[in-house]
Amino acid sequence: MGETIGVGTKILYVEDDHRIRGSVKLALEDEGWQVDESETGEDAILSFGRSPTDVVLIDIMLPGIDGFEVCRTIRRHSDVPIIMVTARADTHDVVAGLEAGADDYMTKPLQPKELSARIRAMLRRARPAQPGNPHLQFGDLEIIPQEGVVSRDGVQIHLTKTEFRLLVELANTPGKVFSREDLLEKVWGHGVFGDGRLVDVHVRRLRTKVEQDPANPRHVMTVRGLGYKLQP
Amino acid sequence: MTTPQDSPTPLSVSEHRSVVRLQRAIQIGLRARIVFAVAAVAMLLSVVLAATTVTIAKNTLLTTREQALTTQALANADAITGALGSAETSDLQTLLGSLPQGGSPILLTGTSSGPAGTDPTTVSVDARYSIDTLPAEFLSSVVEDRNNAVMRFRFEQEPLLVVGVALPNSEASYFQIHQLGDIDTAIRSLGFKLAIAAFLTTLVAVGLGYWASKYTLRPLNRIRDAAESVALGQLDTRIEYADYAADPDLAPLVANFNDMVSALQERINRDARFASDVSHELRSPLTTLNASIEVLENARDLLPERSQQALDLLSLDMGRFTQLVEDLLEISRFDAGAVRLELDAVALVPTVEAAVRMVANASVPVEADPALTDVVIACDKRRLMRILANFFDNARKYADGATSVTVELHEPDHLGIILAARTVRISVEDNGPGVPEAEREKIFDRFNRGDQGGSRGIDLGVGLGLALAAEHARLQGGSVWVEERHDGAQGSRFVLELPMIEPIEADDPEDLAAVTPEEAETFALTGQMPAIRLDEASDQNS
Repeated sequence: MGETIGVGTKILYVEDDHRIRGSVKLALEDEGWQVDESETGEDAILSFGRSPTDVVLIDIMLPGIDGFEVCRTIRRHSDVPIIMVTARADTHDVVAGLEAGADDYMTKPLQPKELSARIRAMLRRARPAQPGNPHLQFGDLEIIPQEGVVSRDGVQIHLTKTEFRLLVELANTPGKVFSREDLLEKVWGHGVFGDGRLVDVHVRRLRTKVEQDPANPRHVMTVRGLGYKLQP
Repeated sequence: MTTPQDSPTPLSVSEHRSVVRLQRAIQIGLRARIVFAVAAVAMLLSVVLAATTVTIAKNTLLTTREQALTTQALANADAITGALGSAETSDLQTLLGSLPQGGSPILLTGTSSGPAGTDPTTVSVDARYSIDTLPAEFLSSVVEDRNNAVMRFRFEQEPLLVVGVALPNSEASYFQIHQLGDIDTAIRSLGFKLAIAAFLTTLVAVGLGYWASKYTLRPLNRIRDAAESVALGQLDTRIEYADYAADPDLAPLVANFNDMVSALQERINRDARFASDVSHELRSPLTTLNASIEVLENARDLLPERSQQALDLLSLDMGRFTQLVEDLLEISRFDAGAVRLELDAVALVPTVEAAVRMVANASVPVEADPALTDVVIACDKRRLMRILANFFDNARKYADGATSVTVELHEPDHLGIILAARTVRISVEDNGPGVPEAEREKIFDRFNRGDQGGSRGIDLGVGLGLALAAEHARLQGGSVWVEERHDGAQGSRFVLELPMIEPIEADDPEDLAAVTPEEAETFALTGQMPAIRLDEASDQNS
């Protein structure tokens, strides 16, 4: 909690219900964040383009363009961490949100303290702390964690911060099997057991970028019933 | 039940009739009734037909025989008349014996009312019959009234025909007695054959009725199959209306059935939508409330003491209320049929260990059967987690928390080996007061906390946790129950039993939901999908 992350960090919060927006903004400000509000998706996209933003928090159900669309639009231009907020934990909404490019999701009723913890974890991982290996090579895949660079056959690949962090986590101990829970804790900072979908969707997204043939992965492998590992 | 006579309020006639009708409907199925009706009609018809045939045949035979014999008797009488004046008694006897088709002839030479002293002489050939054999009325009609007559009668059970001729120009009468036994025998034989024919006809009718009922009931069977499929959750089931559109009896039934299923489907979809809408509508204000309470708690030290107390109460009940809403929404999703099973390949033991680490406040030992070490089953991880969390929650509320967790393989007993699959049992024990026998089923009912409910005062939850655990288990073909601790110590043992279902190969999280709850249940019942050992994974591990 005593980290410097919160100070001056700006969250763009998109929520159409002004009571929710007002109360969550107050609570987040108590946690030390600076909060910009948007009532609609259109407004959020404009606002995002206008001023630098560190984290985007989007409610899925919005009048006009919905949260998924806002997410996709922002993701086209930026790697900024995005957290989706949904009233429903149905598979459909969650997976659709993650497919739209969200890094994480939370269900209402939001607990602002937990939300803060997630944001903190996200920002921390956006700036990798531990030095680790300066240069990792796996066949055609080359990773330079310190510089945030991944390339395949010498061509640089564009990963979101979460995808990058996930890849580096697996790559730091190649061959080790990480359970979904391990990865949730290490990459997302979740204290909550269970939602492997977050990991699964990100692994899938990662594969489409780093694998020659995402259907037959050669780097990011599934270990049935246990989790994932990076093939050394 | 008392009989109508004993009962203080006897059933009315119409009530009784409907009861009888109901009982009959229950006892005899539609098909049986059709078969019975067809057979009864066939039997009745063939019996009537047989009886008519026998009667007509008998009459025809008798009439024919009667006419032939009468003609013959008159001819014979003429012959006797010629011989009567001159012949001696012995000659007459010879004559009677030589008459063609004379049967048993009897000649009576006079009348009893003749001149005094001249008793009429009887001449006969057949010793079995005498003049006394004949019915008196018949005799007097011929002898006294001088009429020719024919009569059928029985003598010593034997059917006989007698033709009586009053010989002209004399007082003598001639009788010819014939046996009709052969006709009787023929008729009896005919009757017997017709009875067999009637029986065979009835048998054929039973077969015909069975076939007809089967044919008639075929649309009903189709409706039954469709209804079964709807009951199993296939709400898009419909009966092809075009197949029955031409049938004035079936078309409305099929149309109504389809309408009914559409209405049901609409209703269930609406319920699911409603649950989803309610979910949104309830969670929104809860978010505002939770966030506002947090803001207040952040500034707790600045509040007067009374306000702090109020805030604490608000905060506590807010937690309870949030949990209640979550549980209610979850259970309404079950009720609306809007739940979706997400089966995942789960390494059982590590998952249970991780779950226990996550939900237990203190560390609780997990003891696992070594045979299960590398076993992977298909199971909904989130639901497994929720069940264990509810068990632990329960142990916290009613005991001092869970004391141990065991994971065991359960082989079905020998009797059940064909039907039952192997299962895994995950048990959570506590050393609380235990659950009394009578309460063991009830505590899994909604809003039932058992007798001890409220005894621990605060933070008892709302009593949906175990009901939800039961639903979560049932959805994946498993079950939950509570029993005594196996070591005999005081406390309770909550058990989750899950079928060992082999996971389907899939990386795509969407594909993991490929197994429906019904399928999972089928696997659980038939045991066709045993769990596999994770050799592949262990190889990759090393």
